[in-house]
Amino acid sequence: MPVGPFGIDPAVWAVLRLIIAVVLAIFLVLNGALAQIFLERKIQALMQDRIGPYHTGPFGLLQTIADAVKLLSKEDIRAKLTDAPFFLAAPAIVFSPMLASFVVLPFAPDFVGAGLNIGLLYLTTLGSMTVLGIVIAGWASNNKYSLMGGLRSAGQLISYEVPQILALVTVVLYVGSLSMIDITRSQPDLLVNVLILPMAFVTYFIAALAETNRNPFDLPEAESELVAGFLTEYSGMRWGVFFVAEYGEVTVVSAIMATLWFGGWHGPGVDAVPALGILWFTAKTYGFVLAFMWIRATLPRLRIDQLMGFCWKVLIPLALVNILATAVLLLVFADARLPIAIVNWALVAGLIFGLPFFQKRRLRGFRVRTRDTAALREPRGIVS
Amino acid sequence: MYDLIGPAIFGLLSVGIIAAAGGVVLLKRITAQALLMAFTFFCMAGMFLLLGAETIAAFQVLIYVGAITVLILFGVMFTKQDERAYALFFQRQTPWAGAVVAAIALPVIALAFSFRDGIPLPPGGDLIPLATSLFGDFTFPFEVASVLLLAALVGAIVLVKRDDDEEPTGPAGEPLP
Repeated sequence: MPVGPFGIDPAVWAVLRLIIAVVLAIFLVLNGALAQIFLERKIQALMQDRIGPYHTGPFGLLQTIADAVKLLSKEDIRAKLTDAPFFLAAPAIVFSPMLASFVVLPFAPDFVGAGLNIGLLYLTTLGSMTVLGIVIAGWASNNKYSLMGGLRSAGQLISYEVPQILALVTVVLYVGSLSMIDITRSQPDLLVNVLILPMAFVTYFIAALAETNRNPFDLPEAESELVAGFLTEYSGMRWGVFFVAEYGEVTVVSAIMATLWFGGWHGPGVDAVPALGILWFTAKTYGFVLAFMWIRATLPRLRIDQLMGFCWKVLIPLALVNILATAVLLLVFADARLPIAIVNWALVAGLIFGLPFFQKRRLRGFRVRTRDTAALREPRGIVS
Repeated sequence: MYDLIGPAIFGLLSVGIIAAAGGVVLLKRITAQALLMAFTFFCMAGMFLLLGAETIAAFQVLIYVGAITVLILFGVMFTKQDERAYALFFQRQTPWAGAVVAAIALPVIALAFSFRDGIPLPPGGDLIPLATSLFGDFTFPFEVASVLLLAALVGAIVLVKRDDDEEPTGPAGEPLP
C-alpha cells in the first residue's frame, strides 16, 4: 500500500487535505472579515478625529464579535414579494467564488492550496462570477432601489473587469507565466514588479477598488441615492454573508497585488525559514487592505457617469497602450526591463499630470455650453 | 478508489447539464432559465476540467457565466415579467422538435459509444497548445471574429448616440453669437 504524507494512505489524504483546506479558508475568511471590520472602524475613527469602538473589551476589540453574534441571532426576515429561490441563492453565489479564490493564493513556498498553472486566470474567472450574484440579488428583491443597484453593478463590474484583466495581462506578458507561484518566484530580490510595471499596478488598483464595490466606486450600494442598493431588502446573516464576501474579496485582490507586484512571500529571512513567508505575505496583503480603508475614509463617491467615463475613456486606453508597448518592447529587446520601466513610469506620470489638465478643459467647455444655453432661454427684450 | 472519483464526478456533471438544459427549455420563467443556463455552462466547464482542458474551462466560466449570463439578466430586467409575452415561444411544436432531436441525438450517441480507448493526457496543461493553435493556425478566424465584435460595438454606440451634442442654435436654427 502506498504511503502519503504523515503515513496516511494517499486516497484518504486527498480527501482529508480538501477538508482541511476548506475549513482553513473559511476560518481565514470569517476571522479576516471580523478583523477588517474592526480595523476599518478604528482607522476611520482615527482619520475623522473620533475614538471609534472602545466599550467592548480592550480597545473595543470584542465589538465586531458582539456585532457578529447579533447578526447571527437576528430574525430571518424576507419580504413577501421577493423571489424566494433567487433571493436565498444570491448571497451564496457571491460568497462561494470568493472562498474558492483562496485555493491558489501562494502564502509561502509549499504552502499553497493548489499550484494551478493557470492560477491568475482562475482568480479572474472567480472574480467575474460575483457580478451574477449581485445582479440576482438586486432583481430578486423586487424593489426599485435594489434593481437600480443591481443594474449599476452589472454595468460597473463588467466595465472595470476590462482594465483589470488588461493590467494582469501586462504582468503575465512580462513574467511569462499565469501561475501565482512562478510569478512570485520571478521577483526574489528588491527589484519587484511594481518598479517595472507601475502603470499596470495603478490600473489594477483602481479597477480592483471598483470590482470590490469599495469607495469611491461603491455605487451599487450608494446609501445616499439608492438606500443601500442591492442590499436594501437583506438583513441578518444574509446581509452579513454579503459583507463577509466583500471583505474576503478585498483580501483576495490585495493578495493578488501583493503577489504580482510586490514579490508575494519574499522578504528577509524567508530563505532560511520558509514559514516566515506567511508572515510577509499577510503583511503585504494587509498593507493593501489598509490602503483601501484609507481611500474609503478620505475620498467622496463618484457619480455613475463619471465612473463609467473614467473607465472607458481613461483606464482602458491607457491599459491598451501599456500592453502594446510592453509586448513590442519584449520582442525588440533581449532584456527589456529598463525600456518597459521607462514607458510605464511615463504613462503613470501622464495619468497623474495629464488628468487635471483635461479635466480643466472639459469643465471650461461645460461652462461655455451652459452660458450659451442660458442666453438662449432668456426672454428677449421687448423692442418697440 | 481513484478510479471511482472520475466517473462519479462525470455522472454528477452529466445529470447537472441535462437537468439544467431541460429546465432552460421547459420552464417558463425567464430569470430561472437564464440562471439554469449559467449552471449548464458551469457544469460544462467541469467537463472540460475532467478532460484536462483547464484553460478552456476557465474561459468558459469567465465568458459565459461572468459576462454573457449577466448581460442576459441585464436584458431580462428591462423586460416585462409577463407569462403571455413568452407564450409565442411555446407553440404546439413539441412532437416535431422531439423528432428532430431524436434524429440528431441517435447518431451522436452511436458515435460517442464507438470510442473505446482513452489516450493519455499530454503533460504541461493545455495553455500552450491552445495559445499556439489560436495564434498560429487560427489567426485569421480569430482576427475576423474580433473585427466582427468591433463592428458590433461601433454599431451599438451609433444606435444609442443622442443628438444633443450639436451646437446650440437659436429658435429659427441660426447659430448663436
